[in-house]
Amino acid sequence: MDKVAILGGGPSAFYVASRLLSRVPADRNRNLAVHMFDRLWSPHGLVRYGVAPDHPEVKNCTHKFDELAKDARFRYFGNVQVGPASGRPIPHVVRLPFDEIPRSYTHLVLAPGCPIPTTHPALPLSSRVIPALDLVHWYTQHPTHPHAPPLDGARHVTIIGQGNVALDVARMLLTSPDVLATYDVPLSVLEGLRTSAVEHVSIVGRRGPLQAAFTTKEARELMTISDASMALLDPVLLVPSADTKLSRQQTRVLDLLRKGSTTKSGTTKKTWSLDFFRAPTGIQESESRLRLSLAHTTLDAGLRAVATGATSALETDLVVTALGQQLDPSTPFYDDATRRIPVNASGNVLHPSGRPFKNVYASGWAAMGARGVLASTMINAYNVADNLAASLLGSDSLSPNFEEIMEKDVDPAPPALVREELEKGNVMSYEDWKIIDAEEVRKGAEMGKERERMGWEGAKAFLAASKTRA
Amino acid sequence: MCCRLRLKTFPPAARHGGIKRPAPGTGIKVHFKDSKGNHVKTIEGNEGDDLLSLAHEHDIDLEGACERSVACSTCHVIISPEHYDLLPEPEDDENDMLDMAFGLSDTSRLGCQVYLTKELDGMTATLPAATRNMFVDGHKPTHH
Repeated sequence: MDKVAILGGGPSAFYVASRLLSRVPADRNRNLAVHMFDRLWSPHGLVRYGVAPDHPEVKNCTHKFDELAKDARFRYFGNVQVGPASGRPIPHVVRLPFDEIPRSYTHLVLAPGCPIPTTHPALPLSSRVIPALDLVHWYTQHPTHPHAPPLDGARHVTIIGQGNVALDVARMLLTSPDVLATYDVPLSVLEGLRTSAVEHVSIVGRRGPLQAAFTTKEARELMTISDASMALLDPVLLVPSADTKLSRQQTRVLDLLRKGSTTKSGTTKKTWSLDFFRAPTGIQESESRLRLSLAHTTLDAGLRAVATGATSALETDLVVTALGQQLDPSTPFYDDATRRIPVNASGNVLHPSGRPFKNVYASGWAAMGARGVLASTMINAYNVADNLAASLLGSDSLSPNFEEIMEKDVDPAPPALVREELEKGNVMSYEDWKIIDAEEVRKGAEMGKERERMGWEGAKAFLAASKTRA
Repeated sequence: MCCRLRLKTFPPAARHGGIKRPAPGTGIKVHFKDSKGNHVKTIEGNEGDDLLSLAHEHDIDLEGACERSVACSTCHVIISPEHYDLLPEPEDDENDMLDMAFGLSDTSRLGCQVYLTKELDGMTATLPAATRNMFVDGHKPTHH
């Protein structure tokens, strides 16, 4: 039989599984099993633990994943960490040695994503210098449970980085908790936001408006928050040099920035600013405040940020670094040079010799880098799944010069450890997840909101109780 | 939030799964082509049907990850220029999503926002090129 292990349970993993199962007819002679392992107990990765609560539409993609999970050939094993992991640990996770996978499966797809926040060399992390991912994990109640950010003492927040995560965090800090209350924001988080002292959010980038990584949609959302206004930008920043050829997105972003926020500067208590051409060079922490040193920058011919020599200091209370995310270096096949899982155009993982591993693939951010929107993740996953399906159906054209690690003859069951832990209720199946999902939505509805999230212990207890009742 | 309101303002017949096929020969014709320009299928729809729902009804490979809420670009299609000009201008939210679409052209639209009218009869909707190396091709080194 063909037995595929997918490591990771985010959108890339689900799009691979979905495409694979649709490409391989269920009635073909050889059996196919697709087993997905996620270190998080609940499925859908960044859709649950990354997408901002006020973007519920983006989460509609999970309906497709729910459909896929009805395919009897598919199984989900949540709360299982395959191989080692660095970063903040999940205490209740079931650990499966990586060696079990090549021994028990004929094919492997690695889709672990990029769970490690990129830090800034001049900004050592502390209780008041935190990665944006900690904030995101706080408002999504991620199983790694970071501390709640110290918002009650933070009148001025500085976000380093100008990508969509930076803007998500800014929006969460600036939007009225009453507006957020109807979304999937946990009650404890709403409480934290209600006691927040935040009055200004500075969003700092080392390059200019044309290089900023945020998308038009996210910028527009920040512009239209009802009770926060953008500090006026220096108009010089918004006039591109005559020889600059603007992309469609750049033209539209510039238009948006020229118009400014819908509530005008000076009319609201809460404000925010886009601080272009500033690069942090150091931070001094005192009892009361933080003093962030900034180098002023300009662009060189290659559009890199270079220091002009001018500097300034910014008094702030909380620094949030939103500088992107990286693959966990303890991931199997991790390549130091690229900090990714090296792959060829078909998604086959490459051996350091350059030869592909037979039947081993990688998809999503782990292979491609932490960038792009859901559509790009989907297209990449479909490419990988199409190549995997071709290999299953015997029509692939991989050269015989490959490395081989996967077993050829396996039995259909998941590894023994996973079976045992599943029986003890320490591993989450997709069916169990759907019970929790329904309960979260039911609880939310009682409170007039999209859902109220459960943590692992609550979910486990609820499942145990519902099985006793049944 | 405009997206949700917009969804509600359109006729329920256009919602996914709610498509009613017109009697053959009586509907508004749309030709679907793949990214290489090969003819995939010619289908017929009713006034008010949107291209994404029609594609799903007729098993054409067009995704709709956000289910017509204008929060993704997975249903991006390229419209024949003479028909594109007949369509109402895209709203800001659709343009914001098109900014991120792959293989964007001057006549690109989100399929979920193209509603059939009689004058669109004979329109072509081409699925954009999604090359396997899109990440590599699209990759510019960043210096953050």
